[in-house]
Amino acid sequence: MAIENLHNFLYDYFSANHCIVTSDGRHLDVQLTDVLDEKLMNRPFYWQYVRKLGMNGEPQMLKLSTEVEDPTSDRELIHFGTPRLQQIYSHLQEQGKFVRLYQKLAVNNQTPLIPWLVLNIKISFIGKEKKEELRSIGINMINGVMISQMIESLEKIDWESSICDYCYPISPLIRLRNSYQRIIDYLTEQIKIPEHDWAIESWKRMQEEKELLAYFYKTSSDNEKDLYQTEENAIEALYQPRIEFEIVNGGIFHISKSTNIPFTDISQNEQ
Amino acid sequence: MQIKLRQDTSFIEDLSKNLSEENNLSSWELFQLSYHTVDSTITRKFSGLNGPKLLPHVNFLTHQLACAQQVVEEMNGRAILADEVGLGKTIEAGLILKEYMLRGLVKKALILVPASLVNQWGQELAQKFYIPAVTARKKPLWDQQDIMITSIDTAKRDPHRDKILSQDYDFVLVDEAHKLKNSQTKNYQFVRSLKKKYCLLLTATPIQNKLTDIFNLVSILKPGFLGDYESFSKKFNKKNRNAEDDQYLKRLIQKVMVRNRREDTNIKWTKRKVETIYVDFTNREADVYQKIEKALANKSRFSSLVYLRELCSSREACFLSLKKDIEQETDHNAKKNKIDLLHEIEQLPQHAKAIEAVELVKSINDKCIIFTEYRATQVYLQWLLQQHGIKSVPFRGGFKRGKKDWMKQLFENQVQVMIATEAGGEGINLQFCSHLINYDLPWNPMRLEQRIGRIHRFGQKEDVHIYNFAIRNTIEDHVLQLLYKKIQLFERVIGNLDAILADLKLSNFEDEISSILAESHSAGEIKVKMNNLAAVIAQAQSLNEKEQKNGNRESS
Repeated sequence: MAIENLHNFLYDYFSANHCIVTSDGRHLDVQLTDVLDEKLMNRPFYWQYVRKLGMNGEPQMLKLSTEVEDPTSDRELIHFGTPRLQQIYSHLQEQGKFVRLYQKLAVNNQTPLIPWLVLNIKISFIGKEKKEELRSIGINMINGVMISQMIESLEKIDWESSICDYCYPISPLIRLRNSYQRIIDYLTEQIKIPEHDWAIESWKRMQEEKELLAYFYKTSSDNEKDLYQTEENAIEALYQPRIEFEIVNGGIFHISKSTNIPFTDISQNEQ
Repeated sequence: MQIKLRQDTSFIEDLSKNLSEENNLSSWELFQLSYHTVDSTITRKFSGLNGPKLLPHVNFLTHQLACAQQVVEEMNGRAILADEVGLGKTIEAGLILKEYMLRGLVKKALILVPASLVNQWGQELAQKFYIPAVTARKKPLWDQQDIMITSIDTAKRDPHRDKILSQDYDFVLVDEAHKLKNSQTKNYQFVRSLKKKYCLLLTATPIQNKLTDIFNLVSILKPGFLGDYESFSKKFNKKNRNAEDDQYLKRLIQKVMVRNRREDTNIKWTKRKVETIYVDFTNREADVYQKIEKALANKSRFSSLVYLRELCSSREACFLSLKKDIEQETDHNAKKNKIDLLHEIEQLPQHAKAIEAVELVKSINDKCIIFTEYRATQVYLQWLLQQHGIKSVPFRGGFKRGKKDWMKQLFENQVQVMIATEAGGEGINLQFCSHLINYDLPWNPMRLEQRIGRIHRFGQKEDVHIYNFAIRNTIEDHVLQLLYKKIQLFERVIGNLDAILADLKLSNFEDEISSILAESHSAGEIKVKMNNLAAVIAQAQSLNEKEQKNGNRESS
C-alpha cells in the first residue's frame, strides 16, 4: 500500500519515533528526540561536543508544512521527491529493516507459533527506462509453503515484540539461510520467464549511442579523451540493462497455526 | 546482450546476526511504514508520469504533459525543449525534473539560467513542483546542496568552476540555451564538460541564424548524433544541399527536440493588434541625418549605418558613440568633420520620436513596456517621461538579480512604464501588461518575437497591442516597411521563421540587412533588394504552412 496522505504518514513516522507532534492538517510541529535530531538535522558537531562535555543536548523543533507557504514563512516545505522526505524514507528503511515479531494472542492453553520468514523485495528492471516491483514473500519454515503478497496477511494480525503468555515458538525445520535461499531462487527463476524486450531495446540503444560517440570523437585530438570517457560513462549509466534485487526489509514472524493465511503455495508452481 | 543481475547479499548476514544478538530489531509500526515508503516510491510502469497526480494544485496543459512524457520515455531525459515563447517550457522542465526525483533517479541537479531569472525559477520550482531548489548566493556549497540554481556566468567563474566540474550531476538544465550555439565560447565548453546524466536545454529559438547552431546544441546532449562538425557543415551549409538530406535531418532532430507551436496547443490565444506610428524628423534632425549619411558614407558605409540607426533612436545614443569614435580618430580632417557633427547633434531639440512616444504612453494610460536597442536612449526616455510626470523603471541585462526582481515588481505594482534594452527581452514574464512599444526595431526578427513573447504568453488575458515606431525616410522606414510588414511578422506568430531563416542560409540576418542598406547606392535599390528578401521569406512561410497543414508537423 502506497502512502496516500503524506501528512498522516509523517505524523505516524514521528509518533512511532517517540516525538511530540502537533498538527493542524497542513502544518506539523515536531519536537524531535535526540536520536531524530541527530538523524535529520545534519549537525554532527553539535552532538559531538554535547557528548564530549557530558551535557544533555537540546533537540530542535522541526516545523514542516505539506503545502506551499509564502516565502517569509520559516516552515520547511515537504513533499514527495523533496530531500527531507527522502531523508525520512532512508531513515525508515534503516529503522524498519529487521524484525522478529510474535502474534498477539489472548489464550489460556498452550499454543504453538509457526515461524515464517518474510522478505519484502524490490526488483528493479533498469534500462533506458526503469520499472520496479515490490514483492512480499513469506515462507513457512516448517513445511516450506511459500506465499506471495504476504504483507497483506501480516497487516491483519496484531503484533508484539515478545511472545504472549501460553504461546511457544516452534523451532524451524528449514533453517534461516535455507529459507532465504528458497525465496531468492524462486524470484530468480521468475524473472527468467518473461521476454525482456526492454533490455534488448536498451542494449541496442547503448550500442548505437556508443557508435555515434566514437564517430564524433574519431577526428578529435588526444586532449579530448577525458570528455570522451565522461560521455561514455554517462551512456553506460543510462542504458546498461540490469536487474537488481534489493531487500527492503524482512524477518521472522511467529504465527499461530489456526490463523487464516489465504494461500496458494507458489513454491510448487514452478517445480 | 547481457543483463547484469545484482543481488543483495548483505541482508541475510545482517538479519541472522541481528536476530541472534536481539539487536536492531524493528517494531511492527516502523516495519510497516518502511514497507509503505518503498511502495510509494517505486516506479510501477516503464511508461507514464507519476508527477502530475501528486501535484493536483497545478493545471498542466496537454502539450506540457505530452512533452514531459516524451522526454522521459523516448528521449531518456536528454532533450532540447524548444516550444515557442510563452508555452511554458519552465513547466515542462519542472515536470521532468520532478519525475526523475520521484523515481529516485535524480538527487543532484544543476540549473543554469540567466541571472535575472534565478529567483523566478526558484519560486516556480517550489510553488508548482515542491522542489526545494537553492539559489546560489555569495558562497554556494556546490558539493552539499542537492538542487542548485545559478547563472552560467557565475558557474563558469573561479572558484566555482572547478568545484562544479568535479560534481557528478544527475541532471543539468540550461535555460536560454541558444546562447550556447557557438562551440568556441567558454559557456559552451563549460556546459559540455559538466558531468551529467540527464540534460535539458531550453530555448524558444533553437536556430537563430544557421543550422550549425542546432548542431552545437545537439552535440551537448548527444555527441555524434548529427555526425561530426566538418561533415555536418559540409552537408548542410553548402549549396548542394538537397531535400532528402533535409528530411533526414529533420527526423533526426525530432528525436532530441520537442517543439510545440502555438497553433498546436488548445489554448485560446488573445489577439495581437499592431499599429505603426510614423514620425517625421524635424528639419534640423533631418539635416543632421543627411549629413551623417554623406559625411561618413564614402568612408565606411557600415559604420555610418550605426550612427544613422542611433540617431533614429536618440541624440544621446548617436552622440555617445560618435564621441567614442572621435577619440580614436587619427586623421586630422576627418576628426574635425566629426567634431563639427558632434556639436550639431548636441544642439538638437528633443527627439521627435521620443516626444511622440511620450504622447502615446499618455494616451494608453495603462501599463506598457518600451523596448529600445540603446542604453543611452533608455536613460533619455526615462528622463523625458519623468518630465511629463510619468514614472518608469529601467530594465537591462547588466542588472543584478535582485534589482531585476525589484524592477519587475515595481512595474507590476507601482509604475506605468518599463523601459527595457534588448538584454531585458529574455525570460521575464510580464503577462500583466498588454501594451508593447517597439521604440526602435531589432534587425533580427527572432529577437522581435522574444520581445513580444514577454507579454503575449500563456496567462495573458487581454489582446496584446504592439506599437511600432518608425521615422519616415530613414533606414527605420526601410526595415519596417519592407521587411517586417511584408512578412507580417507582427500579426502572425512566428511560425517556422527560425527554420526558414536557416534554410535561406542567411548566415546572420542582421548582417544581411546591414549589407543591403550599406551596399545599395540608392533608396530604389534598397527597396528592390529588401522586397526580394521579404518575398523569399514570405514564400517560404506559406510553403511551410502548407506543409504543416498536410500533417508534416515538426513536433510529434
